[in-house]
Amino acid sequence: MSIEAINEQLLRAIGVGVALLDTSELKFRFFNDTFKEWFAEIETGQQLRDVFPDIDTAEVTRALQETGQFTSEASFRIRRRTMTIAMTINPALEGNQKVAVLVCQNISRIKELESMIDSYSMMVERNTREIKREKEQVEKLLLNMMPRSVYEEYKTFGVVTPRTYENVAVLCLDFSGFSATVEQQDAGVIVSELNDIYTAFDRIGDQFGCERIKTVGDLYITVAGMPDPSDRSIQSVSDAAVRFVRYLENRNKSHPVDWNCRIGLAAGSVIGSVVGVQKYIYDVFGPAVADAMRLREEAGAMEIVAAANFAERFGEAHETEAAGSGALADGTAVDIVRVLSGNGSLSH
Amino acid sequence: MAQQQSMFDKYGGFSVVSKIVLDLYERLLDDDDLGPFFDDVEFARIVDHQTKFVSSVMGGPASYTDVQIQKLHSHLPISDAHFDKLAVMLTQVLQDHGVEDEDAQEVVGAFAQRRGLVVND
Repeated sequence: MSIEAINEQLLRAIGVGVALLDTSELKFRFFNDTFKEWFAEIETGQQLRDVFPDIDTAEVTRALQETGQFTSEASFRIRRRTMTIAMTINPALEGNQKVAVLVCQNISRIKELESMIDSYSMMVERNTREIKREKEQVEKLLLNMMPRSVYEEYKTFGVVTPRTYENVAVLCLDFSGFSATVEQQDAGVIVSELNDIYTAFDRIGDQFGCERIKTVGDLYITVAGMPDPSDRSIQSVSDAAVRFVRYLENRNKSHPVDWNCRIGLAAGSVIGSVVGVQKYIYDVFGPAVADAMRLREEAGAMEIVAAANFAERFGEAHETEAAGSGALADGTAVDIVRVLSGNGSLSH
Repeated sequence: MAQQQSMFDKYGGFSVVSKIVLDLYERLLDDDDLGPFFDDVEFARIVDHQTKFVSSVMGGPASYTDVQIQKLHSHLPISDAHFDKLAVMLTQVLQDHGVEDEDAQEVVGAFAQRRGLVVND
């Protein structure tokens, strides 16, 4: 077999579509088997635009003369598939006749892959957005359960080291006659009322530098001076306590259900930690919490009770009146006072 | 769903699933019963459809709800025979790409659950 014959065989069998065009009229003079496979109807003598109707033949001629090359893409359907080819036309000489070589590469698979990657990345992006949204919701939920600095520690290390905080002021609140209210009212009403009130308490507390730790039924505990220490922690809980009472007084005037709180205030050390493994909760406990709980029991409806030495520490900020003697959680007898919410000016 | 999620990952995520998608796409278009459904559909849409379809039945990211599936097929005269044929084709493609029989059955099972949403002829 001669070299020419081998060349022709190769040209015919190659997976690239190759055709020769007459430069003057852009007519097909030759095409290989692959070309014929793609364009079954093709015959020699046909013009370029018979096969590629979308091609601007004037532009082809101009490009061949000016730049010596024409490139384009063309799409067509073969057996339900969209086939996309990248074509290049280069001028050549055959003897002394001017011809152009048309080379077509099948880039359908590339187009299909591009298209698949597009649709996949859109799905992934959407999923990522959803995950991000869920993550934000989880974060919001966790931030409801623990202070931000504790949450950051939890997020970074997966655990929270229990820590003792000194000079923390604690406010414990519950409602007098809560059991009776629960019996009288519809469950939905109770929950929505508590939700409303606790949300207001959170907002007020936040304003004065308090951080709500938890609610258990009608028990509401908020603290100041942790996790970040503050030398105003006692003022913070006292101010919040007074505002809680005023808020409820106002609220009771316009709402059908009366809510009368009892508040105990105390200061001291507490331990803060995430408790539990599956259903974890950030909790505080320790002498200050126990004392505030105990003193709350000394409070009547809409009263704020604290030990006298606690009240001394917030100075003139709120008026107080002596309320006899009481006991702290460990049994120590102390003089107790009622913090008055009425006319005292807030040391804000 | 948790198990299906791992199946998408188990077989190599998108890099393997993409090959399954393209193979299924080829076989679908070559098939004289199922191919004609795609006669007038732009290829980008077919590929998009196949990608989402395979990805979702293998528990990967997916974005079709049942209502969407129903809507997308409502104009097509799809019979039980068509559905059965695609189930066979899907099983074959999965097996040819090294998906274990048990997993392939699970994928086809998830697919079969949607029969009522697409068969309407």
